[in-house]
Amino acid sequence: MNHSRIGTLEAICLILSVIIIRTVLSLPKAILALTNSASIINLFYVGLLMLLLVYMIYRFFQKFPGMDIIDVSEVLGGNILKKIVGFIFIFYFIVSSSIFLRNFCECLRIVYYPSTSILFVILFFIIALCATNYLSFNASLKANLIITPIALGSIIFLFVANFRHFSPQRIFPILGNGIFETFVTGLGNISSFSGIVFLYFLPPLLKEPQKFKKVAITSVVLSVIYLMITVSIVLFIFPYFVKIDEVMPLYSAATYIEFGSFFQRLESVFLLIWMLVLACYLGIISKFVLLIFRKITNVKDFKPTIYPVGLCILAVSLFPKNYAMAKFYETDIYPYLMIGIVCIMSFLILLLASFRRKRKVGDLD
Amino acid sequence: MDFKKILDSFTWKPQEAYDFSIAQTEENNHNQEENVNPLENRKKIVSHLDVNLEYIKTRFNTFLNSDIILREFTLLVHNKPYKAFLLFIDGMVDSNLINDFILKPLMLRNSTNTFQTQKEKNISQTITNNVSLRKVKKFDLAQYISSRLLPQNSITEEKEMDAIISGVNAGNCALFIDTLEIAFDIEVKGFKQRSVDSPNNEIIIKGPQEAFVENIRTNTSLLRRITNNEQLIIENIEIGKVTKTKCALCYMENITNSDLVAEVKYRLNNLEIDSLLSSGQLEQLIIDDNQIGVPEILSTERPDKTAKHLLQGRVVVLVNGSPYSLIMPATFIDFMSSPEDTNLKPYFANFLRTLRFLASIITLLLPGFYVAVTSFHQEILPTELLYSILSARETVPFPVIFEIFIMEVSFELIREAGLRVPSPIGPTIGIVGALVLGQAAVSANIVSPILIIIIALTGIASFAIPDFSFGFHLRFFRFGFVLLGYIAGFLGISIGLFVYLSILCNIRSFGVPFMAPFAPAINSKGNGYFIPPIWKQEYRATYVAPKKEKAQDHISMKWKYK
Repeated sequence: MNHSRIGTLEAICLILSVIIIRTVLSLPKAILALTNSASIINLFYVGLLMLLLVYMIYRFFQKFPGMDIIDVSEVLGGNILKKIVGFIFIFYFIVSSSIFLRNFCECLRIVYYPSTSILFVILFFIIALCATNYLSFNASLKANLIITPIALGSIIFLFVANFRHFSPQRIFPILGNGIFETFVTGLGNISSFSGIVFLYFLPPLLKEPQKFKKVAITSVVLSVIYLMITVSIVLFIFPYFVKIDEVMPLYSAATYIEFGSFFQRLESVFLLIWMLVLACYLGIISKFVLLIFRKITNVKDFKPTIYPVGLCILAVSLFPKNYAMAKFYETDIYPYLMIGIVCIMSFLILLLASFRRKRKVGDLD
Repeated sequence: MDFKKILDSFTWKPQEAYDFSIAQTEENNHNQEENVNPLENRKKIVSHLDVNLEYIKTRFNTFLNSDIILREFTLLVHNKPYKAFLLFIDGMVDSNLINDFILKPLMLRNSTNTFQTQKEKNISQTITNNVSLRKVKKFDLAQYISSRLLPQNSITEEKEMDAIISGVNAGNCALFIDTLEIAFDIEVKGFKQRSVDSPNNEIIIKGPQEAFVENIRTNTSLLRRITNNEQLIIENIEIGKVTKTKCALCYMENITNSDLVAEVKYRLNNLEIDSLLSSGQLEQLIIDDNQIGVPEILSTERPDKTAKHLLQGRVVVLVNGSPYSLIMPATFIDFMSSPEDTNLKPYFANFLRTLRFLASIITLLLPGFYVAVTSFHQEILPTELLYSILSARETVPFPVIFEIFIMEVSFELIREAGLRVPSPIGPTIGIVGALVLGQAAVSANIVSPILIIIIALTGIASFAIPDFSFGFHLRFFRFGFVLLGYIAGFLGISIGLFVYLSILCNIRSFGVPFMAPFAPAINSKGNGYFIPPIWKQEYRATYVAPKKEKAQDHISMKWKYK
């Protein structure tokens, strides 16, 4: 048994963990802002497109067995392109994790630690990240396999417990701002599926590579269902733009839960679970950063790079001047980054590399 | 005349301060390797009895050792006397066995040793050209003694001094005879030992009431009796250059994974230590190091639990002198299981298992949660409860962290004192400690009453965990969570929990992930957290990769379903 390989379930949870952390922040609000009451239909539509995209990714990777996107870029453009793509992904992972970390910590500070420096809150996560990086590659992935189902359970619990606060009529008008906004402008919601970035690195890491297709499709289907649930919670509880402008929409929804007169404020328990998810997500991201770095530089011992990676994430997360700026990066910059790097650049690399391979095979014939 | 001396003789003077120290020089350390007893270089037994005797006297230091018995005598073989001596350790042998079955047959004149026969036996004789050619079998003294004169069931002929000495140290006696280049290692063990008794630390209500004892042979016989199968292999391994402690490596040949057996054997055979005194020592020597001291081997005093794991494809190691068996590999679920589970209906067993899991969470996290809630997350508490906690804490002058550490340390002190004090007053210490100290602390406004409840609940929960080592590990790490809860509330606890979980997921016990079958997710075929009904326990745990996965037929209750 290869200890650094990832099982099918671990891979699915890995992809879901990114979506969970984004929904905990402001993803449902961003989706609703774009497509209003048509968000559920839009998610279904975007989900179908995403399925098509991951299926094509799967087909492309079939032509490059045992290779990830870094290896494929080497096939396409040699060592130089490999290094460029590698550094772009490192940049993407560090920037995205830093944005999420900063936003989450800002929310935590607003809720619980108003007089504490943001650095102190962020440092906790950075210490955890560095500590777990000393463990084996899949220690964080295994921990994620335990934590992600708990987080999913917490969201389902949130949905069920808030059922009586739901106003289903808020789904109307069913097409929200209109057909064009739902199906054309709403395509921007494709950035919600940011977890699929890991699909580009999974082929050589999977214990059973033949299950790559299963991993890709299952994770997209689960992501769609999960996103629908979270969007429904926010959509059915809060009137548009009246209350969803709060810190974290799901956290606000959690404040509505009450069972009798004893259990009236359970939101901190939800936060505890979501903090675990964020820590897990950061652990995984840094592992992938180290993996890519090792791949493009051929360093044997990655341990000396653990602290620099942690410091990079810390520095980038401290870059926004305030919460408003951090939120701006999350809602306005990150989606373009995701679509640009994950959906367009990587897809193009796969497409061109497969053309090149096809031409090479044709020349040989 | 020296008056001072006379005066001094009337005054008392203290002796010079006694200051003993061993000179520690680098040279001593360097020369340790060279200072090997030259006697140990001699390996073979020689044919001169006096040489052997001198060697034994020197090796065993008989002038100082009072329990080493050297009995010199003359034995008769074919009416011819031979000088001989017996070597044994007083208190470790059965004197009656030596007298009746070794000394008597060898020394007393009887028909066997006085029997006169041809010493050299003719096998064949041919006459060619008036020359007689005889083929003769020479008389074999050693063979004659072992087959005719020693009515003992276990006799070994040894040529090496070390082997003979090892046998004597284990309770055998050695017989050296003049002219022979061998010595007899005769099993006459007869030392006092504890008989099989009921378990002290793993008590169950339904099920067998037998526990291992200190004697390794008794323990192996207990396992043999339960498994009742010739596929049970019990291999002997000696560990410790000085103590040469006997260990038994047990496994089911047709079930246990061969790689697992080889790995355990490899680790056991590669221990360069002087002494091995207990199974706890061995456990620490053969596990992979983990950062948080999680036990990776199950330790049990119950033969039924050991046999159950043997039949599941695990490897068991027994150590002579230790009434505990070591079961490897062990996973998280094993530490949540009790031997009671097997004897209960699945829903009751699963209920108890869930209770134990809850107990481990309470042990690890409850004090930390209390600190976090009272310091940072008061909103989680209903207003009435919050008021009562606040009013109870109002008169306490200390911060909550100090309060909880006082009580936690006091609890650990009471527990430790309860173990150390003589058994008649042990329970009294517990009651006095818990009731009087707790009540007095509350009355004196040192701690709040709610904290007493938290500490008591944590303490009780820690004792609900079946494995002592795992319970201890959780008790120890709860202090860390208390600190994290005090520093940053739920943020600190969640970060600690994440690191803790990651470390648990990183641990491998003899190649098996500690958190299997949850992380990594493995189809354990009915060997997960919940116990299926006995008729559904078709397969052995897949994560230990047994040779034989199937444990019983698809339909086990053939009387009902055909």
